[in-house]
Amino acid sequence: MIVEMQGICKSFGSNNVLKDVNFSLKGGEICALLGENGAGKSTLMNILGGVLPADSGEVFLDGAPVIFETPAESLGAGIAFIHQELNLINDLAVYENMFIGREVKKKNGLLDADYMIRQTQAVFERMGIVMDPKTMVRDLDASYKQIVEISRALMMNASIIIMDEPTSSLVGPEIERVFEMMRNLKVEGVGLVFISHKLKEVMQICDRYTILRDGNMVAEGDISSEVTTDELARYMVGHNVRTTSLQRPSRSTHEVLRVENMSDEKNYREISFSVRAGEILGITGLLGDGRSELFQSIFGAGLDYTGQMYLEGTPIKLHSPTQALDYSIGYLPRNRKENGIIKDMNILENGSIVTWPQYSKFGFINFNYQNQQFDTQVKKLQIKMGRKYDRITSLSGGNQQKVILAKWLSIQPKLLILDNPTQGVDVGAKEEIYDIILNLADEGVAVVVLFSEAQEIIRICDRALVMYHGVIQGEVAGTEMNEHEIMRLATGAQLNY
Amino acid sequence: MNEIEGKKRQTVFSWAANTWKTQLLFSTAIALLVMIVLQTLALGFDFDSVGAWFQLWLQNWVNILRNNSGIGIIALGMTFVIISGGIDLAVGSTLVVVGAFVMMLIDSGPKGILLNMGITGVPAYIIAILLGMALGALLGSITGLLITRGKLPPFIATLGTMKIFRSATQHFMQGYTPAVPKSFLSIASLEIGGQLLMPIIYWGILAILLYVISTRTTFGRQVIAVGSNERATKLSGVNVNRVKLRIYSLMGLLVSVSAILQVSRIGSMDYANAGSGYEMDAISAVIVGGTSMAGGKGTIIGTVLGTLIIAVMNNLLNLIGVPPFLREAFKGVIVIGAVLLQKKDDNS
Repeated sequence: MIVEMQGICKSFGSNNVLKDVNFSLKGGEICALLGENGAGKSTLMNILGGVLPADSGEVFLDGAPVIFETPAESLGAGIAFIHQELNLINDLAVYENMFIGREVKKKNGLLDADYMIRQTQAVFERMGIVMDPKTMVRDLDASYKQIVEISRALMMNASIIIMDEPTSSLVGPEIERVFEMMRNLKVEGVGLVFISHKLKEVMQICDRYTILRDGNMVAEGDISSEVTTDELARYMVGHNVRTTSLQRPSRSTHEVLRVENMSDEKNYREISFSVRAGEILGITGLLGDGRSELFQSIFGAGLDYTGQMYLEGTPIKLHSPTQALDYSIGYLPRNRKENGIIKDMNILENGSIVTWPQYSKFGFINFNYQNQQFDTQVKKLQIKMGRKYDRITSLSGGNQQKVILAKWLSIQPKLLILDNPTQGVDVGAKEEIYDIILNLADEGVAVVVLFSEAQEIIRICDRALVMYHGVIQGEVAGTEMNEHEIMRLATGAQLNY
Repeated sequence: MNEIEGKKRQTVFSWAANTWKTQLLFSTAIALLVMIVLQTLALGFDFDSVGAWFQLWLQNWVNILRNNSGIGIIALGMTFVIISGGIDLAVGSTLVVVGAFVMMLIDSGPKGILLNMGITGVPAYIIAILLGMALGALLGSITGLLITRGKLPPFIATLGTMKIFRSATQHFMQGYTPAVPKSFLSIASLEIGGQLLMPIIYWGILAILLYVISTRTTFGRQVIAVGSNERATKLSGVNVNRVKLRIYSLMGLLVSVSAILQVSRIGSMDYANAGSGYEMDAISAVIVGGTSMAGGKGTIIGTVLGTLIIAVMNNLLNLIGVPPFLREAFKGVIVIGAVLLQKKDDNS
């Protein structure tokens, strides 16, 4: 099947999201759709998926003009859209999810589970996947959930599958598993649209690319050996971006945090390390390495632990984030939507909630002080926003993240823990966040930053600990801090001495 | 000339339409206005003079406000509870406990606790009121502890305390009817200009107080944060458990004020029926006022408007002679209708 979209325009109010965009895809081809957040990728795919109507422009399937008014119509024509937030029900088995909304019944009106299980099994076998259709979706890891979604699309005879950032929550071997399935689909003649920010993956798996910037199509072409990630990144942001390491001069200062033999018996064991003021310590590893749980405990928001932790030489034990606040420890959690932003509050309140008690008198918030504090941070972090009384959800991912940073910077933290600070942030804003982190370290803040990608560690960290199944597998710094070495440690190998 | 006027009308109209869509309080206020107009029409204009009509209209309003001040006060506390994502089903039962306790304290009969201690008159009333409020806050904190320490869902915790509080009161107050001294009644029944305005004044003062708490204090804003995203709020260093404990204590405190007002208005309490259905009436008022059951959204002003909408509607139904049994159905309709309207607003 061949899909062609021609001269697509779409605007929301006065905001022109798509300006005369063309896009095409053949069966048996993987096409990357690239662009920063807000470039119009999702809007374009939503039009193809029947979620949104186009203002003007045409869509052709095998040369015949079509108009999809609902997602069901689009699906009926063989186009499946797999959204970034997967559409699976955790409390149902895999086969039940595969048939949701189209359950097969026996003559007596009861569900024909056997038939559905057999059908599911058949699709899995065709794709070379080993999975029991009776597994509960809750028990699957993120990559298998993705695979179930793709299999479901296949079962509905989709010949075009749109995948919106399928690898954003996956790591290492999981990504490879999804790629394997994508390659199989390609062989079967299915056309795939791969929306992603991860340019390396694009180079690895895609045949062609289309790049959008501010609603315009700025580049398209084949992925060949002449195309570099730098070139693609440049098209996406419209200017040069750095992709190499920033080495900072090392300085010796006092120790801020030291952890000795920390274990929670479930997620991490025997953890010891220390961080100095002005240092950026990276922590990385694959999914299930326990790093997030470790730092939740250090911040007082995790499970109880054994072992000892020292802040500037003083032994402390935190039982709640409220205490961490008293010790000037800041924490930016991963999964911004669930753990970071408070969606019913405005930007100002989101950026100042941490310090309310500090500058309130008799429980009354000092609004002048609150405004001053926040304005300072807005300037410092260059937060781009409308009015500060607008909703936090009106901001882009990168700016939301900066607002969350702002609330912690207002307490002048000694130690700042950042868990995946660039998650769901576009390329340009990523750079800005790196700069913010580097500046903070220069100001003498001890920064611990958790990344799932080795590249990010290499970009900004002075040294890094690599975790594997709850233990620190090794430490890398200087020339040893390269992707190869980090990956080796993250997959369980010992450091070479 | 006409064109300009047309344009102006257009802008006012589009402003109203836009505000209707975006500001929940605006649409709630308009709904109240419509109710008031209908109610005024139902009252009729068949009087000797404008003065006589106005007097009746005013009298009708004083009655509405007074009769709903008890629920109005409870609804104020319920707003905080619901904004935080919780619910309190035990308000009616708490009212009975506090009512019985206060009456036992001020009983002018042989069993009167304070009387037997030799304390009577105003000092006794002050002690009784303070202790009654303390008991209300204490019962609220028990609920709060069940929810925070015991990690019970608020619905379950308060379903339990609802049953316990009322049943225990009924059991222990069997065969004992305290006599409330006449002078105690003046707390609620003091006449101002020939009118019983005290309950309305208490309600008004508390509404202003809670409005200020909700908009200007750390606690008030933290309540919204907890209701909107509890996890993110906790990770922002807010002691979420303490916030919740305070919410339920405040709820208990407000219920105790309502209980004291009821005792001093009526001079007695029917332990089996007093306050029953209050939880649902208060929740209805809060919901009609635009507070979301999912938490995170809601205002005190909205709740006052919501209470008034239901009150004025009741009055209207009474005036046009709708049979009493049917009136509850209208309450149901207005709750469902309000939420359906709010849903539409949410999507835009």
